[in-house]
Amino acid sequence: MRGVAWGLRSLGRQPLRTALSLAGIAVAAAMLLDMVMLSGGIDKSFSDLLLVRGYQLRLTPKGTLPFDTEATMSRASEIVRSLRRDPDVVAAGAVLGSSLYARTGDSLVTLFGYGVEPEAQGLYELTGGRDLAPGDTTGVLLGDPAARRLGVGVGGTVTLVGRLDPQVAAAAVGRKLVVRGTVHWLYDPRDQPSVGTVLSVMQRLAPGTEDDRASLILVKARADAQVPALAQRLRAKFPAVEVNSVTDLVAQFRDRLVYFRQLSYILGSLSVIVTVLLVATLMTITVNERLGEIATLRAIGVARASIVRQVLAEGAALTIAGGGLGILLGLATARYLDAILTSFPGLPAAFSFFVPRADTLGVAAVVLCATGVLAGLWPAWLAARAPIALTLRAEAT
Amino acid sequence: MTPPPAPLVAHDLRKDYPMDGETVHALRGVSLRVSEGDYVAIVGPSGSGKSTLLQLLGGIDTPSAGAVELLGTRLDRLSDRELTRLRLTRLGFVFQRFHLLPVLTAGENVELPMAEAGVPRAERRARAQELLAYVGLEHRVKHRATQLSGGEMQRVAIARALANRPAVLLADEPTGELDAATGREILELFQRLNRDGTTLVVVTHDERLAGQAGRVIHMLDGTIRD
Repeated sequence: MRGVAWGLRSLGRQPLRTALSLAGIAVAAAMLLDMVMLSGGIDKSFSDLLLVRGYQLRLTPKGTLPFDTEATMSRASEIVRSLRRDPDVVAAGAVLGSSLYARTGDSLVTLFGYGVEPEAQGLYELTGGRDLAPGDTTGVLLGDPAARRLGVGVGGTVTLVGRLDPQVAAAAVGRKLVVRGTVHWLYDPRDQPSVGTVLSVMQRLAPGTEDDRASLILVKARADAQVPALAQRLRAKFPAVEVNSVTDLVAQFRDRLVYFRQLSYILGSLSVIVTVLLVATLMTITVNERLGEIATLRAIGVARASIVRQVLAEGAALTIAGGGLGILLGLATARYLDAILTSFPGLPAAFSFFVPRADTLGVAAVVLCATGVLAGLWPAWLAARAPIALTLRAEAT
Repeated sequence: MTPPPAPLVAHDLRKDYPMDGETVHALRGVSLRVSEGDYVAIVGPSGSGKSTLLQLLGGIDTPSAGAVELLGTRLDRLSDRELTRLRLTRLGFVFQRFHLLPVLTAGENVELPMAEAGVPRAERRARAQELLAYVGLEHRVKHRATQLSGGEMQRVAIARALANRPAVLLADEPTGELDAATGREILELFQRLNRDGTTLVVVTHDERLAGQAGRVIHMLDGTIRD
């Protein structure tokens, strides 16, 4: 009956105080967990999202990132053909993104359109109906928000209009298309109404004078290990475009969001300090209250090491119990904060700032346990050094 | 054949405390020999030095001068770790405030010194039950200390003190926190303990407790008066 079990039982001596301390530790632990999840979660989530369909490389107009601007690359089909001939490339497909409209009665609904090559696409997952066939110039795919807004489903028709003249509100190009299927657009912000057609249709609908253009070309390498060398080779081969691997994009994204990481480090450190102070304060009060008991234990022959172990175990038990509650609280608050942060305009809805991972939880648990032990050191030292005779004399008076 | 050493011998013990810039002479040269099977009561007014003497005899305080021998071992020649071990295995302590661990049961409190001494679990459990039965609390083994009365707590504390079969049992005002009836139960228990061979040194204000001892030492101003 020693160690942590004894420590856990000792927590029941002052239930209200223990409950308040546990609440404090749980809040600090939740913050620590959230900050640890935030510091590593952004990279992980972004990387997972980019790799969800296995395309490790993105070719974009020089000096841009995917869908960062409305810039497009010319001679897209030529680049794609060249890529598909490369022995290290498994698949390559161009994408053209553009704002366009759908006619519903007398009004126009604003949409976002993707022109894709269905045989090599990394932008969507089919949720209903069927996919576009390569060269299907009469079909369209709808995301759920677009289907809801247009009030059509699989088999229905949609009239897309593009190259709208803002002066006369008249479109230069219109196209009546049959809804082949519904899809989940992987990179869409929440509730963005997006539609997809084959690339050639979107090239006709999108504003601009040149026909053979794309916003982005997705490339799937034969093996992950080949990606850096392949990227290097493609940069040399296509100097007019930007070639980025997922690792490059994550690094650039990380640079842009460096303040999130700094914030997480600062708040995480603060939460550790708060936990140390809380546990140390509680344990110091506890030890001072129990000096008579501790002096008695020392008098009857309990070694200093046993007293130290007991105090440390009690601090650790408190921290572990509070940390357990903190994990639950942290996961709940992470979900809530994630919902707020991912509602920022332009962010993919599937993106997550707080990613719970086994290694993240492990780091938080180890830091918390170490915190509990660290916080118990001073009170444990106080307990072990308490002068036996003096304390017993003071107790007796 | 050399006779076995006396359980407890004090040689010219002195203890001085600094207090408010002055030195208080709590003990002024006390010598004492406690033989095996003795029942010694130390009495005297408050401040006479009786508790200080008991603490020096028990190795929980160090004398300013003089020495204590426990079973022939000079306590002042032991390291803190050795002294702690000696207290654990050769001495039993009973205090006015019982100081049981409230989160442990009566049985676990009695087991505690044995656990510290490395006694195997089954053996210490059996011994704890035996000791609690000896002090009349066999039905309270699984009760938490907080569920016991004052007299019961003191009896558990006595059982705890006997756990490692000490050579001497030292008690400091063991009836001080108890009412008359409960105190009488403790007196009877001490008498029985001594009859069964336990060497006892008891500091007390309680005349009944002192009256039943085989030897009474009167203290005044840090010295033994008789």
